[in-house]
Amino acid sequence: MNKDILKALTKRILSSVVTLLLLISFLFILVRLSPGDPTQKFLSPDFSPELKQQVMADFKLDQSLTEQYLNFLANIFQGDFGVSYDYRMPVLSVVWQFLSFTLVFASISFVIQIILSYYFALKSIKKSGRVLGKLLSKTSLVVYATPSFVLGVFLIFIFSAKLDMFPSAGLKSLDFDSFSFFGKLWDYIIHLTLPIVTLSLAGIAMFYKYLRDNLEEVYRQDFILNLRASGFSESTILKKHVLPNAVRPLISVAGIELGILLGGTLITEVIFGLPGMGRLMMASIFSRDYPLVVGCAFAAGLLMIFTNFIADLVKMKMDKRMIKGLMN
Amino acid sequence: MLFLFWLLILIFRFELLLDFAVLTGKYIFLLFTDFNQAIQLLDFSLIDAVLSVALFTCIPIILFFYRKKLDWLQSVINFPALVLILLFLAFCFAPLITNENPDFQKDLKATKLLSPLSSIKVIHLKKEEQNSNSSVANFLINKNKIIKQPFDESIILANKVEISSNEILFTQKDLLKKINLSEVVLVNEKPEIEEKTFILGTDEFGRDIFTRLIYGARISLLVGIGAVLVSLVIGLAIGFIAGFKGGIIDMIFSRITDLFLAFPVIYLIILVLAMFGNSLLSVIFVLGFSGWMSLFKIVKSEVISVKNKDYIISAGLLGVTKFGILIKEILPVIIVPVIVNIIFQFSNVILAESALSYLGLGSGGSYPSWGSMIESGQQYITKAWWMIFFPGLILILTIFSVNDLGKRLNKFFNPAA
Repeated sequence: MNKDILKALTKRILSSVVTLLLLISFLFILVRLSPGDPTQKFLSPDFSPELKQQVMADFKLDQSLTEQYLNFLANIFQGDFGVSYDYRMPVLSVVWQFLSFTLVFASISFVIQIILSYYFALKSIKKSGRVLGKLLSKTSLVVYATPSFVLGVFLIFIFSAKLDMFPSAGLKSLDFDSFSFFGKLWDYIIHLTLPIVTLSLAGIAMFYKYLRDNLEEVYRQDFILNLRASGFSESTILKKHVLPNAVRPLISVAGIELGILLGGTLITEVIFGLPGMGRLMMASIFSRDYPLVVGCAFAAGLLMIFTNFIADLVKMKMDKRMIKGLMN
Repeated sequence: MLFLFWLLILIFRFELLLDFAVLTGKYIFLLFTDFNQAIQLLDFSLIDAVLSVALFTCIPIILFFYRKKLDWLQSVINFPALVLILLFLAFCFAPLITNENPDFQKDLKATKLLSPLSSIKVIHLKKEEQNSNSSVANFLINKNKIIKQPFDESIILANKVEISSNEILFTQKDLLKKINLSEVVLVNEKPEIEEKTFILGTDEFGRDIFTRLIYGARISLLVGIGAVLVSLVIGLAIGFIAGFKGGIIDMIFSRITDLFLAFPVIYLIILVLAMFGNSLLSVIFVLGFSGWMSLFKIVKSEVISVKNKDYIISAGLLGVTKFGILIKEILPVIIVPVIVNIIFQFSNVILAESALSYLGLGSGGSYPSWGSMIESGQQYITKAWWMIFFPGLILILTIFSVNDLGKRLNKFFNPAA
């Protein structure tokens, strides 16, 4: 059995590496295909052709495509994505600065999504057929159809423009440094409330739908009827028998949801002007800072590959059948 | 339902319809007399006007001949279906539903950020009548009169108008201006002053939001349909090849699919649009390219499950080409999951398009898009709620309705699930 696990793990890691390689190749193709002569960023067309040749040689652009590709690969594995035009710093360190915010932001939202959707799904299962259950299901459909930027703008309108309860943009107040520790914490909280609601609601609706469907399906099965007939209390049945069965399929959804979440942070950061990777990417696109754009895209892809890997590990841990599935 | 719409349009836009019909007639006449000129004059707004009139006259005919078949439509009509039908009508008949150019701007001071249902006075100025004997020039004058331009020098928009003995006093916000009566079109010795109502208000450039929403439906649906078609073709082709060949090709394509699934799609789309520039076509292609994965998976698994069945093998032995097998034998088998998938894909694409235009990477160009309307409304959020509310509402309704349609179809095709 141990050998099996090891084998499955190696296979999973290998496939992650292949996906990573594909991602890098894809980025390379995009960069090479994009219109425009790369030397023109450094040279005006008036300069002599010899100078152009020299620049081409300096950047190894005169080599064959395969050699350029290998160079690209080597550079990326050394963490060298070039230098950002705007920040005058290596791309990696710029991305890293902004990535930390996105990571924290997304994980807070993820936790909130799981907890709230779990709570709502249980509520609606218990109250199914009654007004509250129906209301929850209908609301989740509408929320699911609401684009995050529409939701965000509506929230800003209601809570910032009309009620003046939360600030509409930014992460800190202007006089942030003068606050005490708790004052700073509170400042973060009121600045992040609206963004987190914006980011989480769609995910809550999605998890809610899956969890509710799963719960319903498990409740309909015969062994639950058997347990009930044997006199187990409802809460024991729910905790020991229904939930473990219902939560399992959710993990693969969670892997996909992380991708949606990362896309969602991009838009949320733009709406609320938060210092995250998504806004960095948009800003660098509009200032034509291509090394930074590619760096951000690569970071996003890497993050996704990593989180999917983790999701699969958790799945393997919870369901031994997965290991067999991976082996084949 | 359709007939009701037809009647409404007929009553409210009768003059416009007549004008369009006259224009069509003149253009056809021009085609016969001066072919080269006619071809040169052909532009999008003209085609738009002519086509919508043609379609419009077709509606009662279609309704009459297909009334039996359309009966089921009456039975399934509910709110989401209604929204979709209205959207489709807006897509086809935009110039008939609103008699405005979506980019029409005039007298910013008076028309800027007007709230919904507010109205404004229109003073018509006298124009020099151009009369020409040449049929081409005649046609051009006629066309410019009927098809709305984004500018119009012959009117003045004002908030308040007062008429004194020999001049007209009008205000544009806090600005008082006057104009001599001799410059104005007179009807029965009185200046002709119309009232114009903006149902959903105006934006920061004084453009009518209702008109922009109607025209924005075109962008959304066009991008949606285009991108879905692109991903349908890609998904079918790759899925078919991977399913039929199997082995290494299947493995490569599956890895690529994993990559696309793993990648946060919006980063990919933004990356490509940033590298290659954003236009209507590039947005359609990029959204299409980023949405073929689930189709690929469906097609591949179905092809693998049927490719060793007797009827496929015998079709191959009978000399049916691979393409023929795909179209004639496999497509009917997979059509149901593919259609359901396409509908959900459609709503995803509409969402993605509006998000892209919100971020400023949309199709750009001549048409307003719902996403960009919300983006520009965000700056005026404290002053003009209607600028974000109506586009947002329409967007939510659209996505909700498309999702609902997909769910209904899914239920219809597999009642067990």
